[in-house]
Amino acid sequence: MAAHSSGWRNRIAAWWQRRQALAQPWTAQRYVALDLETSGLDARHDSIIAVAWVELTPPLLDYQSARYYTVATAQTELNQSPVVHGLVSRDLQQVTPLAEVLKELEQVLDGAVLVCHHVQLDWAFLKQAGKAHQVRFKPLLRFDTLTFEGQRLKNSQHHIQRGSLTLSACRSRYGLPQYDAHHALSDAIACGELMLAQLYKYAGAQVVRLPRS
Amino acid sequence: MQPELLEVQRFLLDCPPFDELNGEQRQWVAGQIKAAYVNEHNVDGLFKQHSPALYIVRSGGFDLLAPDGHLIERLESHDLFGFPSLLSGRAVVNKLQVIEDGIIYIITAAVFDQLRQHVRAFEQYFIRAHEQRLLSETARREGDVTRRGSLAGTANSSGTRQGSAVDTGAAGATELGSLGLSASGPKQEPVASYDALQLPVAEVIVRAPVMLSIHATIKEAAERMRDEKVSSVLVVEGPVAENAAAEGAVVKGTVVNDTAVNETAANSPADSEAAAVKLCGILTDRDLRNRVVAQGLAYDLQVNAVMTQAPATVYGRQTLMDALAIMTQENIHHLPVLNDADQPIGMITNTDLMRQQRSEPIMLISALNKAASKAQLVAEAAHIPAYMQTFAARVHDTTMVGRLLASLTDSMTRKLISLYEQEHGVAPGPYCWIAFGSQGREDQVLSSDQDNGLLLGNGLNDNQLDWFKGLGEYVSGGLHECGIPLCPGDIMASNVDCRRTLDGWLERFKSWTESPTPKALMYCQIFFDSRLVYGNKRLYQRYREQVARLAQKDFFLGNLARLQVSVQVPLGLFNRFRGTESGKDSDLINIKRYGIALINDIVRIYSLQAGIMVPQTLARLEALRGSKLLNNKDNQSLAEAWQFLTELRLQHQLQTWGSDQPKNALDPDELSTLTRRQLKTAFRIIKECQQGVGLKFGRIG
Repeated sequence: MAAHSSGWRNRIAAWWQRRQALAQPWTAQRYVALDLETSGLDARHDSIIAVAWVELTPPLLDYQSARYYTVATAQTELNQSPVVHGLVSRDLQQVTPLAEVLKELEQVLDGAVLVCHHVQLDWAFLKQAGKAHQVRFKPLLRFDTLTFEGQRLKNSQHHIQRGSLTLSACRSRYGLPQYDAHHALSDAIACGELMLAQLYKYAGAQVVRLPRS
Repeated sequence: MQPELLEVQRFLLDCPPFDELNGEQRQWVAGQIKAAYVNEHNVDGLFKQHSPALYIVRSGGFDLLAPDGHLIERLESHDLFGFPSLLSGRAVVNKLQVIEDGIIYIITAAVFDQLRQHVRAFEQYFIRAHEQRLLSETARREGDVTRRGSLAGTANSSGTRQGSAVDTGAAGATELGSLGLSASGPKQEPVASYDALQLPVAEVIVRAPVMLSIHATIKEAAERMRDEKVSSVLVVEGPVAENAAAEGAVVKGTVVNDTAVNETAANSPADSEAAAVKLCGILTDRDLRNRVVAQGLAYDLQVNAVMTQAPATVYGRQTLMDALAIMTQENIHHLPVLNDADQPIGMITNTDLMRQQRSEPIMLISALNKAASKAQLVAEAAHIPAYMQTFAARVHDTTMVGRLLASLTDSMTRKLISLYEQEHGVAPGPYCWIAFGSQGREDQVLSSDQDNGLLLGNGLNDNQLDWFKGLGEYVSGGLHECGIPLCPGDIMASNVDCRRTLDGWLERFKSWTESPTPKALMYCQIFFDSRLVYGNKRLYQRYREQVARLAQKDFFLGNLARLQVSVQVPLGLFNRFRGTESGKDSDLINIKRYGIALINDIVRIYSLQAGIMVPQTLARLEALRGSKLLNNKDNQSLAEAWQFLTELRLQHQLQTWGSDQPKNALDPDELSTLTRRQLKTAFRIIKECQQGVGLKFGRIG
């Protein structure tokens, strides 16, 4: 009974904390820009090969916080992924157990805003992997740079052309430099910078809060 | 464990001085970077929070402003700033203004200090940049010791330059000099023989002159030449004749070494006896053959009967290039060398020159000189472009290229004049053939067109004027056939407007200086840079002195200044950050129009004011040293910027040889990071000096 009541109280406290956090302007939040390399696009059947993230506190992206782990496990199907992601065997030599990586990420993500380009996909993989390893990710919010950009283009009555929402195409619209794609860490950093550009441009001189979606 | 940050590392590798770090160090510093997304709303707070630090622009565009709002530098990708405060410990006072949002990497003071302590080259870079003397250091590293115009000595380094915001000044304030060419273009090996053309003549003299009294006989002369194993002797008046018999004494007594060049011979006791000689003539093997033996003259005649009187000479302090020009001009193979007291200190021969520098320029010039007809001259001139390409690719001091081209053009001009005279008889009066513009300044490039004119004596009748009309048409037409394009503005001796008497020219200059329409001012920028190519030296000197006086009018200089200030110097290199009007070639930067020509203009106005009559920009700067109006620091900066831009243009022209790419316009994307920084530094120097011209001259009139 007591346990049940304290769990309820914890949930109330968490809800209240989240509400308080979300009342802060977007620049006061901590962000984790993340990119996964996977063996395919289906979170139920495919697996994670590499995880990369970097933390941001606007307007800064801190390279010290950058992480990149190759996490190939026994059941990983490697026969096609190297082609997809340009991974070479060298990358697979230093592998970290997925559970360890997920634990570290759980800590980092706690109370932070998760930022991805096409966040649904990465989130689906994270949830799936978390379930398998008894890890629960509790980001404050999930921010999708792709959805944000799509919305922005729609609002400004642009016809959205094929290919105009790729990470690199979005970045070039903000005058951000071109990076070599197909490396998870490079993409995570690129995505974090894009988020900064998007939100600074959107907010302008205003104090803006993140939407509570 | 920190992952490899390949993207940042690649960027740092292209961002001097981070290219000086080893892989491990670069990986480490990459991991210490904080990247800030900077826009107009967060810029002030951000720098308050993170300073002092070293900042690297990754993307976007930013203006670095002094406290008074004066623009110090427009910062673009790969530019560094903030380090002067790190080095000096002084507070940051400058402000950053956002032109375009972008990413700036922040390297904290602690990380910066670590790198400084461990990597000497890294520290050296910033110290040099901070002290604004990166040029000389990098130039020396290129191993180019004889670089001309390395105007050493920054006496006035306190700098009266307005808004001299050294404080948070940007990277490489004066890091011109060596181009970062290692990445592109063929690696240049130093070829001593090509640099030799700029050695002082005194340095290559192998022995003291063999001198003979004017009263000696031909036989004595021949014996002396046999004993000394020389092919020529100097014939002099004065005490040396007494010593002539005492063989060896004179030679030993007047041994010349290069350090004595600027001293009079009288300074050395051993020379005191030989000091007061007067050079009267020169006698060569050839004279003995042609004028004595072939003529059947008696050997006991005095040498003055067969010598060449009042021979052409060169001063020991002049360069081999000068000697070469004189020898080719006079078509002689032996050139007596004098010190500044007009005392003979040696002899330089064709062979000496050939030994010094593999002979190619000499061969080319003497081939031009030997041409017996215009057709032959044109045929020889056809070799020039290909030859200049190899010459330019090897030579280190790029001012040599302009000088050699001017020399070649001069030689062709003289040859054409003599061919004309052969056909139409000698000139009916004294005259001067004058080179203007780039040929006058000796900063020609291969595509430079003709700018020339004739200065005539007074009182010529119609027939005589026709002779000069024919000369003007013949020579400029001939030069055109030799590959020097006709002047589209018709500034050529073939145009009656450019064939004038002294009074006629002065009238023109007067009208330009007194009613300075834009066209008149444009003419001034060509005609005030003049040089005598052929003709009567005294006539030219009179002309030049009077022209110089006409320029020394505040009203005129004020108008000239305002015209110069109206040219907008690029702030950034990339099109959208440039701040200049964009034409059809807007992706490219015209370094002649916005660089070399502007420096020529700036230096010209100071020279006109000071009454300096030499036309070459570097020579004018030398002459302006110590000037109250142009401080020595700016003087040096202008010389460095001019040399840098000339070299950059030459490299560009070599790389685009034979293509139809613009000759003076560069694509900033194709330059190395260092070269881009240097180019911006050059533009910044020009802009500051341009503002100086506006302040000093532009308010009058």
